[in-house]
Amino acid sequence: MTELLQALIFGALVGGVYALMSTGLTLAFGVMKVVNMAQGAFLIASSYLCYALWQHFGIDPIVAALIVMVPMGLLGLVCYKLVIARLERIDPGLTIVATFALAMVAEALLALAWGPNEVGTTPSYFNQAFHISSLVIPRAQLYAFLLAAAVTIALQLIVKRTWLGHAITAASQNPEGARLIGIEPSRVGAQVFAIAAGSTAFGGAALSFLYQFTPDTQDAWLGITLSVVILGGLGSMPGAFAAGLLLGLAESLTTTYISVRWSAAVPTVLILLVLTLRPQGLLTRATRQDAAS
Amino acid sequence: MRFFRTPSSRPRTGRGATSRALAPFATVTALAAGLCALAGCAPASTSSSASGPITIGMSLPLTGSAADVAKAGYQGYELWASQVNAAGGLLGRQVKLDVLDDGMDPNQTTTDYTRLISQDHVNLLLGTFSSLLNAPASAVAARNQMLYVEPSGGDASLFQRGFTDLFFAQPGTTTSLPDQFLSWFSSMPASKRPTTAAYLTQDDPSASPAISVFVSKLQAMGVKTVYDQTYDPTTSNFDSIAAAVVHAQPQMIIQGSVTDDGAQFARSLEKLNYSPKILFQTNSPTDATYPSAIGASNTNGIFTAEAWSATAKYPGNAAFVAAYTKMFGTAPTEDAANSYTAGQVLQTAVDSVGNLDQKALAAWLHAHSVSTIVGPLTWDSTGDPQGSLMLAQWQYDTLQVVDPQTAATTKNVIFPKPAWSS
Amino acid sequence: MTSTTSFMTSPPNPAPRAAAARGDGRLAAFTRRVWIPTAVLALVAVPMVSANLYYQNMLIMTFLLAIGASGWNIMGGYAGYISLGNSAFIGLGGYTTGILAEKWSLSPFIGCLAGGLVCALAAALLSLVTRRTRGMYFVIVTFAALQLLEIVTTAWSGLTGGSQGLAMPVPTWSLAYQDWPFYYPLLALLIATVAASWWVRRSKLGLGLFAIRDDEDKAAGLGLRVALYKMIAFVLGGLFLGVAGGIYAYYTSFLNSAAVFDIVTSMLIVLCALLGGRGTLWGPVLGAFIIAPISNFTSTNLGGADAGPIRLLLFGGLLGAVALFLPRGVLPAITGRLRHPAGPARVTEGVEPPVAEPAETAARDRTHPTGAADVLVARGLGKSFGGLRAVDGVDLSVGRGRITGLIGPNGSGKTTLFNLIDGTVATREGAVTLAGRKLERAGRASRAHAGLARTYQLPRLFPSMTVLENIVIGERAFSLARLWARRTSMAEHERACAVLDELGLAAYAHESPAALSYGQRKLVELAQVLWLDPALVMLDEPAAGISPALCARLAAMVRALPPLGTGVLVVEHDFEFISDLCQDVYVMAQGGVIAHGSVAEISADPAVVDAYLGDTVVSQPTGSET
Repeated sequence: MTELLQALIFGALVGGVYALMSTGLTLAFGVMKVVNMAQGAFLIASSYLCYALWQHFGIDPIVAALIVMVPMGLLGLVCYKLVIARLERIDPGLTIVATFALAMVAEALLALAWGPNEVGTTPSYFNQAFHISSLVIPRAQLYAFLLAAAVTIALQLIVKRTWLGHAITAASQNPEGARLIGIEPSRVGAQVFAIAAGSTAFGGAALSFLYQFTPDTQDAWLGITLSVVILGGLGSMPGAFAAGLLLGLAESLTTTYISVRWSAAVPTVLILLVLTLRPQGLLTRATRQDAAS
Repeated sequence: MRFFRTPSSRPRTGRGATSRALAPFATVTALAAGLCALAGCAPASTSSSASGPITIGMSLPLTGSAADVAKAGYQGYELWASQVNAAGGLLGRQVKLDVLDDGMDPNQTTTDYTRLISQDHVNLLLGTFSSLLNAPASAVAARNQMLYVEPSGGDASLFQRGFTDLFFAQPGTTTSLPDQFLSWFSSMPASKRPTTAAYLTQDDPSASPAISVFVSKLQAMGVKTVYDQTYDPTTSNFDSIAAAVVHAQPQMIIQGSVTDDGAQFARSLEKLNYSPKILFQTNSPTDATYPSAIGASNTNGIFTAEAWSATAKYPGNAAFVAAYTKMFGTAPTEDAANSYTAGQVLQTAVDSVGNLDQKALAAWLHAHSVSTIVGPLTWDSTGDPQGSLMLAQWQYDTLQVVDPQTAATTKNVIFPKPAWSS
Repeated sequence: MTSTTSFMTSPPNPAPRAAAARGDGRLAAFTRRVWIPTAVLALVAVPMVSANLYYQNMLIMTFLLAIGASGWNIMGGYAGYISLGNSAFIGLGGYTTGILAEKWSLSPFIGCLAGGLVCALAAALLSLVTRRTRGMYFVIVTFAALQLLEIVTTAWSGLTGGSQGLAMPVPTWSLAYQDWPFYYPLLALLIATVAASWWVRRSKLGLGLFAIRDDEDKAAGLGLRVALYKMIAFVLGGLFLGVAGGIYAYYTSFLNSAAVFDIVTSMLIVLCALLGGRGTLWGPVLGAFIIAPISNFTSTNLGGADAGPIRLLLFGGLLGAVALFLPRGVLPAITGRLRHPAGPARVTEGVEPPVAEPAETAARDRTHPTGAADVLVARGLGKSFGGLRAVDGVDLSVGRGRITGLIGPNGSGKTTLFNLIDGTVATREGAVTLAGRKLERAGRASRAHAGLARTYQLPRLFPSMTVLENIVIGERAFSLARLWARRTSMAEHERACAVLDELGLAAYAHESPAALSYGQRKLVELAQVLWLDPALVMLDEPAAGISPALCARLAAMVRALPPLGTGVLVVEHDFEFISDLCQDVYVMAQGGVIAHGSVAEISADPAVVDAYLGDTVVSQPTGSET
């Protein structure tokens, strides 16, 4: 029984980590319909910035994230204006290619700045855990989980309760209509994309104290974050959180009870199942497809 | 690039690690403003005459996931070449390295070595890092009947293809990795030995073959196997796995790790506050980042196997360390030592044979022993080295060589492993 | 009788634009007859002329990329399904070949054919996935499938050697032949792939694929069996690459699952096609011939330990530049310049002068019902979207040779009802019978084959093909042999030209529908669906937004239908239009039918006046029977 509980705890915690890493992409992909292939690169860039602050000033990564949010937000703004806004006008399908190129450039710059060696931050809690009776709750993962919840709630509030959130939702669904009522999609889009990029600061901070990383760690995270967003259904922040949890739990349970070797296949199999059986994601409704748009 | 996997440890291209993240960017590309004329792309070849410099060709994964390994390895080659040239060169001729970048892509490796041989007409070859790349490269070399000495690719399958001109410049392949540990283990009185063991390995040729040997040999010695699992190379979170291992309460844990998966697993054990009597990990404990990754004081007592140690007392080793540090400003890593060794092997063969006849060089190496910074090396007919790796242990912030006695830097062995410090 | 009936016959006047089309055809013919054979000969000669292995190797990799890109182009360029899983075909082909070589000592040159078969099967499977997932989701499915394949291959070590990899047999031929046994088969495969791509482009299959890319649902509505078309396209895309994968594995001598099922190679293939020109014939090949040497060049001339990130920067920057500044690819940019120094791009690529076919197969047999009085019978149709009851238990029938109207306020469910009848929206409630055939379980193409046709409020035409091709694309009956035929046969061409003549649109026969005005598009769409010789035509607000003259013309076309036994169901807001044309009218409000009867009856009905007409509308039933 303890083993099961422990597996569930681990699963939920790592699921929270997945959700945290995906928040920016959920916002970009989900609300704005921009497939941001540079999500992994943003994450790792944040990680390196947090690492730099840790290394030179001893600032705890979670605190550092609050600082790193700003440059990352600016980076998102610039990327959007220079690249994405332009492409959304020409050919949205090419956004994938362009953001992929962005990821390459980012990886190169990171490698030039920090070199290819593995680094990580090691604040005091990186290898500690809370022990409650015979259950173990690793501190680092717990903090990441809490961060995930906080960031998800914050972003959800922004999307659903602020004017900006409404504006971007409208603009994504119907750019022309939005213009007619005074919302300029590219301006609003830039702001929201900046928020999405800024939110990766927290994911990056968590990454820095959970794992060791190098510039090309971004590849794997792009895959995970895409999985989370798709499982949760586009446009749903709570959905992405739940999807992250689902992924984490599925992996943990598979590792503990079925097969360690095959647990790596879990995210992929889930993706394939969801996309072929329920493409709208697990937590969103199918929208009416036949309405003229 | 990979998608849909948990974030990977960066692959190590040490003794035969396969790569997981092939550098996309070396091969994905770009545009030209116009069509790049096929003829115009290749620069003039650097064929060398009988009196010009001796060119040595190699293709290294300088871009991508193994770039830091390749960089150190390349520097090892550079040091070796500069020392050779300072001493008058090979056969009286200066040595020149012709280096190409394959970005960790085996297809590119094939093309690179083919180009080095058929276009650049290099006189000699030196190998690359990781079995993944050495596999096709050794095939190209074999078809062109050129000697191929490789520093870092210990996958047993490399040596089962019948190539007679292939040589591995390390004391042993992965399957001989457990040897020294097993001999130390069996030297303990039976009553003191741990009775249960958990085995955990990454699915990688530089680790899993070794773990198989551990399992069978230790079981034969009466150690009970309480856990035995293989994990995917992209596994990064070991909490669940560690919990399952701890659940089995093993007195000994042996992990076939490759890069930072060793540190990650150790961290998970720390979080669970479980410290076995013996913890043996392949590869990882020799990484420069390992101590800081698990907490410097936590390394105490962890065993590993090494092909090379900076403090091992083999001839030329100390001089190598000093020269490398002077030339590059940092201490050498095992990768640099491996490539330096490969250079030494090549140099010894050429000097002994007196010419560049590839077949004669190969024959000489099969018949003789070469003294290197990792000790004396001999090979069987397939190029598989006949020695074994050293047993090393972290002792009070230093990685000491424990066995064999000829290379040992300490007589002391820490057993059982102390508890984790928090 | 109005003159619009004459489009049913075939006067022998070729459209004036055909001559111009032939002019462009000459450029294409020159390319075909001179440049291509020269290039092929040059490639054949390279290994014989130069013993330099470097070029052979580079060309081998180029061929592989070109085969991949060309095959991908059939799926992604023609049909519009972007796949990122192409290296899966290489991997499957390679591993099949390797496993057969290891377990049964089968020569890889034979084993690679088995590899091709395995890939054909995998591709067919993939095409089935597209029933549920399209667009971005499909791309991700291909990603995930590739990933899963890699995991399975690595974990199933008993079969594949797992992480240790699989060694291919060592080549047995003398070194004097160098890499010829790899080079020539790959070159042959490349020629085969391009030939297949070329054949697809000029066939009805290709026309159908372009239609699928433009508007898959509309294509299905015109009777195209889209699932089959896609399956053939996918199979072609994967087959050649699978065989090439087997040969390439032999060439690289060692298979490692991570290296082989690599997303990078897939991206590279896609990049070749995008760069060269997606959807063109030679674009992907051109792209491969640009990219492979560059990749080679930069990787082998930027040596040195610190060059890695700089190369990355360079490639990333260039890739971004392509996406931002040259999105359509190199080839269209070049050919666009050559053909029209100052004009818009014309959709004449692929238009060749039609060829007279010896046996005219498609006799336009009319399968109009002779027995049933009602051509369409709908009973109890209903549909809910969440809590909204869009259509609620509607009973409706359209008689043979009658024009029936359907009116009602916006949001009353008229379009949804249309969608239920033609199959765009699925429902389990109710029954639809067309000319005696039950349609509830039938797919869109089947409904078209049963005799259903429908136009849209905003006309849906296919911009990738000419107006003429738009007209002839409908398929009343499916025949496999027809796929192989040329895009337009002589008879079809002439008949369509006649139709366009009638509509006064003969000048646009070889233009893209994008050049037409809204009203002209409506006419063309009507002609398009009438080409199917349907038993029932459903018109969705045909008169909306067009001039009275055009309206009259449309009305005339519609009036020509009842004598042929075709039933018509018209949704309209223009009450005059309805009262001029329709013999009986249904009125819908809030998802249900509130009235049915002749125009006079329903305009006197208080419920109808209340819901829709208002008392100021004066209806003049003119007894519009003709």
